[in-house]
Amino acid sequence: MKPPSFPMIAPEPEMAEELSRRSLLRLVLASGAMALSPAIMTGEAAAEAPVSGGTLTIGADADPIGLDPVTLTAFSSYDFTSLIYTGLLRWTAQMKIEPDLALSYDQPDPKTYVFRLRQGVKFHNGQDFTANDVKHTFDRILSPASGSRLRAFYSSIEAVTVIDPYTVKFQLNATDAAFLSNLATSPNGAIVPAGVENLNTQPVGTGPFAFEAYQPNLQFSLTAHAGYYEKGQPHLSRVVFKFYKDQATLTSALRSRAIDMTWLKDPKVAAAIARTSPNLVSAPGQTSRTFPVWLNMKAKPLNDVRVRRALSLATDRKACLDTILGGSGKIGAMIPESQVGGYDGTGELPYYKHDPAAAKALLAEAGYPDGIDLGNYIIVAANPLDVACAQILQQQWQVAGITVKLMPMETAPLLTMWNTGTWPTLLSVALSWTPDSDATLQYIKSDSATGKGTGSNDAELDRMILEARAELDLGLRAAKNMAIQRHIADQAYIIQVYQYPLRWEIWWNYVRDYVPIAANIRSFVRTAWLKK
Amino acid sequence: MTRFVLGRLAWMLAILLAVSFIAFAMMRALPGDFAIAAAGSQSVAPEVLAAIRQDLGLDRPLLAQYWGWLGHALLGDLGTSFVTRQPVRAELFDRLAVTFQLTLLAAIISMVMGVATGLAAARMRGAIDWIVRLYNGVMLAVPNYVVATLIVLLFGLYFPQISIFGYTPFLEDPLANIGSLLLPALALALAVSVTISENTRAAVLEVANQDFVMVARAKGLPPGRILRDYLVRNALTPVITATGLKIAALLGGSILVETIFAIPGMGQYLFDSINSRDYPVIQAIVLTAAAIVVVVNTMIDIAYARVDARVQL
Repeated sequence: MKPPSFPMIAPEPEMAEELSRRSLLRLVLASGAMALSPAIMTGEAAAEAPVSGGTLTIGADADPIGLDPVTLTAFSSYDFTSLIYTGLLRWTAQMKIEPDLALSYDQPDPKTYVFRLRQGVKFHNGQDFTANDVKHTFDRILSPASGSRLRAFYSSIEAVTVIDPYTVKFQLNATDAAFLSNLATSPNGAIVPAGVENLNTQPVGTGPFAFEAYQPNLQFSLTAHAGYYEKGQPHLSRVVFKFYKDQATLTSALRSRAIDMTWLKDPKVAAAIARTSPNLVSAPGQTSRTFPVWLNMKAKPLNDVRVRRALSLATDRKACLDTILGGSGKIGAMIPESQVGGYDGTGELPYYKHDPAAAKALLAEAGYPDGIDLGNYIIVAANPLDVACAQILQQQWQVAGITVKLMPMETAPLLTMWNTGTWPTLLSVALSWTPDSDATLQYIKSDSATGKGTGSNDAELDRMILEARAELDLGLRAAKNMAIQRHIADQAYIIQVYQYPLRWEIWWNYVRDYVPIAANIRSFVRTAWLKK
Repeated sequence: MTRFVLGRLAWMLAILLAVSFIAFAMMRALPGDFAIAAAGSQSVAPEVLAAIRQDLGLDRPLLAQYWGWLGHALLGDLGTSFVTRQPVRAELFDRLAVTFQLTLLAAIISMVMGVATGLAAARMRGAIDWIVRLYNGVMLAVPNYVVATLIVLLFGLYFPQISIFGYTPFLEDPLANIGSLLLPALALALAVSVTISENTRAAVLEVANQDFVMVARAKGLPPGRILRDYLVRNALTPVITATGLKIAALLGGSILVETIFAIPGMGQYLFDSINSRDYPVIQAIVLTAAAIVVVVNTMIDIAYARVDARVQL
């Protein structure tokens, strides 16, 4: 069998119907395992039977910070929690939602979801999985005492009720299109066992792999969960993460086969390595994040829409994309393509056409006929892609009479500025993947921390964002999201440059049936097997 | 002698206390904290950040935090890492053991190389001296992370079958453990050996021109005995100082070489903990590194007293 074909196909319009209101999703368990194999999903017949056993070694560039999905805040933990825990729903390789711990769900009215749960599922400690665990998980998330970052994502949940051990009801206080996306996301929807403490250091879940041992900075190991509920899975008997903080060492380790797979931060490096051996599979995956320039609109001169539009017109997004990513990405708008209504990088958006002369004219109109000095442009020093892009932007803007001074900064102080809205004029920090377009739009909504930081103050925009979140029909929601993005581009509230996969995954081709997904976790380690 | 040693010990404690306070104050003065660093560019509500800070005690007044830390530290409790949630003392001990092994190996390699080349250059002069000095000059200019990166790239490109990446714990496989440390130790040792070589050469040449050596020669002592009892013994004093300081610095951990070779030692531990603002870990590492340097310096002072006949106590 060939490795699954790439690139991944984009979300199709059919998904609109698939998950429309009052839809009833049924999954026949008997055929479940086959139907879910990525080979089938990418339209290929499985010619080779998976071989059981073996250890998959993954090179990782960051240690986890906590392993309790309810309380963790670090992105680096998701790699590990996504193999240990599962949720009611999950994403397919094409970023569609499918049932996981749930068998099906019913939506008697737009604000009520009733999930029927799988029976006979065991946690890694042998405990049975029931509706009580679901209620326990969401009670923990919603309790202010937990200090869970997820509470904001699930603010629409009014009550979680156990109907019987295998039926659970979610009552929402508003129609919420982001609800299912969050449930499908690991770790946002991960179910934790009731009555088990210390999950941060001793995680217990229902996932395909159980926690074995963790030696900080050295390795993190998992063993196959014998009681995993999908027949025949996982094929691997162990998964070991080895930590290499240096990207050159990571690539050398991959070449020497000290690791079987990894992901790299730079598309050019990934492409160069893939060229060194035909036996390496490099799959970029869908674009899942954007690289924006955040504007401080609380004061002059960026509170003037003409200056912001000039900045947008002075930006040659295509040149940045080609130079920095070697074309391995797309022009960006607020929502990345892998989300509902995400921008595909080709449609016309206001003030996106590179036009330095028009930018100059707008600046003159705004009272800056001799150009404008926007002061320090703050960027993440530790991210070479960001720094390189900022250098190009600096030159492009200069042509239109906009002067900036690049100021690379250590990450923690930069994030403090970003969180508190205390950067002087311009700041760039790439956004992490979010499970739903609404979470992405929250960054610019006037009542969020970052919205306040930018000085976002547009009642019309806030109303549009709320309406889109309440729209359950995916087709209509996509249209609304597109209108929002057009509005943001028209007002130039943020300068989105390009969109790209968070990381470029690469692995040896003896790792079979592995598929990268835009959710930036390695879900398909559960179907992977080794042909050695 | 006792008074000298006691005085040194009191001085050591005062320095360590000062270092712990300065490290504490400097880390808190840096913008950004653990809650911010861990969340990254994800949207995390301010109340969640506040809850994390409260949980870790970061919302208490600074002096109260320092006194709390000092009280525990004096009892040997260095706190819990924010990141791994493990006791810092145990983690630190593991890291220190790895760095200690690495340093020991690097020290042996650099001493052998340094003293041998230094002695050879000083005694044989001519072409050998010229080659050694040229080599020393070049190596002195090349930082150890460049050597380390070159080793990694060369092995990755030309000997991919030899896996040099990743560290094997000593208890798991002693031979593989030494194997996994050999190349990083070499990368560290090269620069140190150059300094030792230069110091040895200069010291031997200087001592060789002293009157007492001429007297020894005039007395007709065999060259071997002159070398051993007159030259090396006297020349070694400054070499011991320089070597001790270099090795003490290595014990603090070599951030770059450890990161490049993925060796879980002190340097990498420090680097990660600063990035993630893991205060208890930073505090413990700074204190340990300072303690090592101070202790080694004190030991050098005492060693002087033994080796250098001019020091009388």
